[in-house]
Amino acid sequence: MARISINKVWKYYGTSPAVRELNLECDDGSFVSILGPSGCGKSSTMRMIAGLEHISAGDILFDGQRINDLPPKDRDVAMVFENYALYPHKSVFDNIANPLRLRGFAADKIKERVTSATKLLEIDHLLNRRPSELSGGQKQRVAIGRAIVREPKLFLFDEPIAHLDAKLRAHMRGEIKHLQRSLGTTMIYVTHDQLEALSMADMIAVMHDGELQQWGTPSEIFNRPVNAWVAGFVGEPAMNFLSAELRSEGGNTVLTHPNFNIPLLPQQVALVNGSAKREVRMGVRPDALSISTTRPDGPVIEGRIYVTELLGGDMLVDVQLADARIRVKTSTDFTGVADDACYMTVNRDKWHLFDIEDGHAYF
Amino acid sequence: MTSGVTNVSVAQVPPGTSLFRARGTSSDIEARPITAVLPLPVRLNSAAPRRYYLYLMAPAIAVLAFISLYPFVWLIVMSLQDVGVGAGEWVGLKNYTRLFNDVRFLEGWVLLAQYSAMCLALQLSIGLLLAVIVNGARWEKFLVTALLMPMMMAPAVAGLVWLFLYNGTFGWYHWLFQSLGWLDSGSILSSTDTAMLAIVLVDVWQWTPLITLIALAGLKRVPQDQLEANMVDGASPLRNFFAITLPNLYPVLLIAIMLRFMDNFRFIDAALVLTGGGPADSTKILPIYLFEVAFKFFKLGRGAAIALTLLVVTIILGKLLVRIFEKPKSERV
Ligand SMILES: Nc1ncnc2c1ncn2[C@@H]1O[C@H](COP(=O)(O)OP(=O)(O)OP(=O)(O)O)[C@@H](O)[C@H]1O
Ligand SMILES: [Mg+2]
Repeated sequence: MARISINKVWKYYGTSPAVRELNLECDDGSFVSILGPSGCGKSSTMRMIAGLEHISAGDILFDGQRINDLPPKDRDVAMVFENYALYPHKSVFDNIANPLRLRGFAADKIKERVTSATKLLEIDHLLNRRPSELSGGQKQRVAIGRAIVREPKLFLFDEPIAHLDAKLRAHMRGEIKHLQRSLGTTMIYVTHDQLEALSMADMIAVMHDGELQQWGTPSEIFNRPVNAWVAGFVGEPAMNFLSAELRSEGGNTVLTHPNFNIPLLPQQVALVNGSAKREVRMGVRPDALSISTTRPDGPVIEGRIYVTELLGGDMLVDVQLADARIRVKTSTDFTGVADDACYMTVNRDKWHLFDIEDGHAYF
Repeated sequence: MTSGVTNVSVAQVPPGTSLFRARGTSSDIEARPITAVLPLPVRLNSAAPRRYYLYLMAPAIAVLAFISLYPFVWLIVMSLQDVGVGAGEWVGLKNYTRLFNDVRFLEGWVLLAQYSAMCLALQLSIGLLLAVIVNGARWEKFLVTALLMPMMMAPAVAGLVWLFLYNGTFGWYHWLFQSLGWLDSGSILSSTDTAMLAIVLVDVWQWTPLITLIALAGLKRVPQDQLEANMVDGASPLRNFFAITLPNLYPVLLIAIMLRFMDNFRFIDAALVLTGGGPADSTKILPIYLFEVAFKFFKLGRGAAIALTLLVVTIILGKLLVRIFEKPKSERV
């Protein structure tokens, strides 16, 4: 177990930076997720922590000790690779036993540890198979087995369940989280799937283009995104964005748009620094809107239904506004059909305003 | 979009019906029972296309038989005869039985084994080491080209070059070894202690690059992820090499070893130029002896018998090698 500090770390491949000045503090025993789209530098970060890639600039510390120049074998981390990286000529048993053998464990100790690890992962009936004789899900569990069979300072899991089908993935999410809790080992878990990060991690680092966008708990990331990019990346279905204008009207600060005129809440006015007339971006998640075919009281967004989609237990309604289309999540008893006029009320505790220039969030 | 789709609202769907199917699915798709008997196809497609391969290959096979099989059969026939310059006389297996009493034949095998073993051991270890060093080096392309130079040379020419280098009066190596005190007197090639080493060295000089080249190609294909996984598992670079890199090189190394040992059994140009089997037969490896029997003394029948034993042993060794290298590697850690 260890506390991991990543201090101003850069990674250059040739002259192009893949990671730019990354700062992270992973507490001892915590489950940290690095979340970002493909190519944002997640694997590069992992590989620098594991010692497989040179750290171009900055330091990585384990428990306050700089490990930049330690070879991988002396860092005492266990990694699950994006593509499993099993040894094809070795049986499942030998694959999982490999880290123990390399560390000179006694044969009976190895057997005991491998057996308990494989029992935990429910692959104890596959011990004599070769990796080529396993399904994707089984391979992945062997790779996890190889990581958990010894007690490392740190787990590095690089998109370990990205290749599994949705059902197995949901199952493995629970298993991995439970495993990390019961072992109490610090975990850095890379994923591009926001649902995985939100459901498993204690802390999430959202990365984009090699840069850390936000560092926070899942609820902070989801409810208080620091910029429009994070807000748009996290959440399914994605947040709706609209260009609107901020202006003051009769003592109120109001957000205006061809389809609506909604005043900000008093505590939000303070956050938009000044009520000068200017353009902003408004963001609201599909479930922070409620839709109706009859006009309710209070400020509303007027629109016209474009299409309705039934998603099992919920319904998604696409609504056409003057300049954009937005999605609203509602219950299945909504009766509106395409081309009907509709009215939406915004839950103003859950909407967001972003700067039009740099995208940072006012609230 | 038809209005039929959008007009289906949840309220209209009868209970128990799948919502998804209710949306615009025409009901007649469900009407056919699963057990319905399908009608037979009206007409079957014609069978697989005709095969012309044999006709097309026939000329090639005929040519091959003529230029390769015919001489081979002749070789067998010849080994059963006493053939000189003129027509042969049938002697049965006498050519073979006589070989077992032929000291120089048996000696030739021992020398060949020594020669080939030394060449292979040196070439493999040096070649592999060079490949590891060159692999990923900054000047890799240039280094590979430079390494290839010796291989470009005709073996007989290489022999001549080294004849000069070993020369007892002006040879550079002669001077070097003598200055280092490794050589007391006499020339390298005329001493029974050093002549064998000298021809081994030439073979190593000329053919180690081939091993390097083959190993280099193999190194490029060693799975990087396994190396990395093993490193994170706790392996040192040396251990990683033996656990992951080397096993992955086995297939290409097998090819390299096969090529080289078969060459050792066949290519004697350089050795002929350098020592011709001497001094005192100390470098008379079997193929040189064969050359003498067949083309110096024109005992073509005996020569054919020796050649065939050489061939049989080559085939057996080749089979053996393949067997060894194809053994499952799971036990090697
Ligand atoms: N060995 C390399 N040489 C050059 N560029 C590289 C190398 N490895 C990664 N990159 C580049 O660095 C950037 C980050 O790559 P990285 O593998 O860290 O992304 P990632 O976040 O793990 O993506 P994914 O989700 O697809 O795995 C990418 O633009 C990639 O093209
Ligand atoms: Mg990656």
